[in-house]
Amino acid sequence: MNKIVVEGLKYKYPLSETLALDNISFSVKEGEFIGIIGRNSAGKSTLCQAIVGLVPHFYKGAYGGKVLVDGLEVKTHSIADISLKAGMVFQNPFTQVTGSKMTVYEEIAFGLENIGVPRTEMINRIDEVLHLFKIEHVKDHNPFDLSGGQMQRMAIASIIAMKPEIILLDEPTSQLDPGGSEEVFQAVQSLKNQGITILMAEHKMEKVAQYCDKVLLLESGKVVDYDTPEVVFSRNDLDVFGVTAPVYTKVCQALGVKKKGADTYPVTLKEAEAALKEMRR
Amino acid sequence: MKSISLYVNRNSFVHDVDPITKLIYIAFAILVPIIVPSFTISFICVGISLVLLAFAKVLRKTVPVFSFVFLVLITVVIIQGLFKPENETVLFQLGPITMYQEGLLFALTITLRVLTIVSAFMILVLTTKPSELVESLVRKGMSPSIGYMIVSVFQIIPEMMAAVSTITDAQRARGMETEGSFFVRFKAFLPLMGPVVLGALINTKERAMALEVRGFNSQVQKTYLYEEKTYAYSRLIRALLLLAIAGALVWRILS
Ligand SMILES: Nc1ncnc2c1ncn2[C@@H]1O[C@H](COP(=O)(O)OP(=O)(O)OP(=O)(O)O)[C@@H](O)[C@H]1O
Ligand SMILES: [Mg+2]
Repeated sequence: MNKIVVEGLKYKYPLSETLALDNISFSVKEGEFIGIIGRNSAGKSTLCQAIVGLVPHFYKGAYGGKVLVDGLEVKTHSIADISLKAGMVFQNPFTQVTGSKMTVYEEIAFGLENIGVPRTEMINRIDEVLHLFKIEHVKDHNPFDLSGGQMQRMAIASIIAMKPEIILLDEPTSQLDPGGSEEVFQAVQSLKNQGITILMAEHKMEKVAQYCDKVLLLESGKVVDYDTPEVVFSRNDLDVFGVTAPVYTKVCQALGVKKKGADTYPVTLKEAEAALKEMRR
Repeated sequence: MKSISLYVNRNSFVHDVDPITKLIYIAFAILVPIIVPSFTISFICVGISLVLLAFAKVLRKTVPVFSFVFLVLITVVIIQGLFKPENETVLFQLGPITMYQEGLLFALTITLRVLTIVSAFMILVLTTKPSELVESLVRKGMSPSIGYMIVSVFQIIPEMMAAVSTITDAQRARGMETEGSFFVRFKAFLPLMGPVVLGALINTKERAMALEVRGFNSQVQKTYLYEEKTYAYSRLIRALLLLAIAGALVWRILS
C-alpha cells in the first residue's frame, strides 16, 4: 500500500525566483526506508517539509501538484492534522528544543501533551524512547545543557515518542560521531521493522547504501533517479550531481567488479567483500 | 545553565501549596491592607509573609531583594519626612534638618504597602517554578501560546546571553577591543547586534516549525505529564483568604 504519494509537486518559496521543487513525483510504500540524497541546496529539506505540510502552510509561496500522506491531502489539511501521521526531525537540533521545559524528560513529553496522550501511556513511551536512544542518564538535565549529539538524539526521541506512522529525518546524524550515527541508524532500522515508513535526507552514503531500501536523488529541485541503492550508486554520472558513491562502490567500479549475476556494483562492505572474493576464485 | 528564574528548590509545605492558592494569597496581602488602612493589619500581613518565607527556608534569598527595596524606601522616608507640603508637627530637629510627623507617617504607609506586596510576591516567585505557575494557569483556561511565550522567555534569554558571550569572545580573539571606555564598548556592541539579532530571528522561525510538527496547534484536548498539584488544605486556605477579603470589605462598608 502506498503511504506517501507525490504527484507533479512544484513549489516556489515566497520572494524566490526559482522553483525549489520542480515537478516531483514518486511514491513510498508502507514500511519502506527511503534515503534522499543530493548536493547542498538540491531541495532535500524542502521536500521533507512538503510532506509534513510546512510547505506550503508555514511558508506560503506558490504551490502546485499533490502530496498525499496516508490518504490525507497535505494542501487541504492543517500541519497539526498531518503531524499525527508524519513526524519530522530537523537539521539543527538546537532550534528543536522548545525552550519551555526544564528537563529532557519533560521536553519529550511536550508533543505527547499536545496530542492528548494519557499520562500512563505518556510515561511508558518516554521511558521507551529514552532507552532506545541511550539518553536515560540525562533525563533530568536541562535540554540546553546537552551535547550536540545528545540534543540530536533527544530531538529524534521526541518525535518517535509521538508514534507517527511516517518519520522524516533531515540529516539527523550531522552532530554525531561514527558510533552515534550507527546507533541512530540501528534505532531507525528497528522502527522500520515495526512497519514505520521512513524518509531520511542524508549525506553519509555508506549508511544510505547499507540501510535504505530506495534512494531518491535530487538536483535543483528535480528527481534525477529513484531506485535501489545499487542502481543509483552504480551510475557513472554521480559527480555531476555533487554526490560521491560509497567508497566500496568506487573501489569495485575502479576494479570493474560487478555484483554476481547483476549489472550493478556492490554498495556495502559485505557485498564488496563477496564480489571481490568471487573474482579471486 | 544560568537560569533567570529565582525559584529555590526546597522541601517545605509552602512549596507544596499549588500556585493558584499562592496567587489568591497575593490578592489577599495586597487588598486587605488597602481596604482596611490600619498599621496593625499591614504589619500582620508582612508578618505572615515573613513567617511563610521562613517556613519555606528561603528567607536568606530575600535579603538582596529586601535590601534593594529598603534603599528605595529610605529615600522616600527622608524626602517625605523633610519636604512633604502638609508637614506641620515637628518630630525632632538635627541641626538645620527638621523631621515632620505627617511626612513620616505617610512614608511609613507607603513602606508598609510596598513591603506587603513584595513579601507576598516573593513567596510565589521563590517557591514556585515559572513553568508550574504557567501550567496551572493553562489548566485554568489560559491560552497555551501565551503560556509558552512566558515560560520560554525564562529559558531563551539565558541562551541569547550565551550567544552574546560566544560572539564577543570570537570578536575579541580577532583583535577587537571590547573593554575600556564607554565609547569603545559601544563600538564593540554594534557589530554584535547583527549576528545576535539575525541568529535569534532565524532560530525563532525554525523553532516555530519544530513546535508545529509537535502538535502545538493541535485542536485535541491537551493532557499533562504531571498531575495537577493539589495541596490537601488548598480549598480551606483559599476559602479563608477569600473570606478575609470579604470580611475586610464588609467592615469597610459598615464603618
Ligand atoms: N526559507 C527559504 N526561503 C527562500 N528560499 C529558500 C528557503 N529555504 C530554502 N530555500 C532555497 O530552496 C532551495 C532548496 O533548499 P533546501 O534547504 O531544501 O536544500 P537542501 O537540499 O536541504 O540543502 P542542504 O544539504 O544544504 O541541507 C535552495 O536554493 C535554498 O536557497
Ligand atoms: Mg537541508
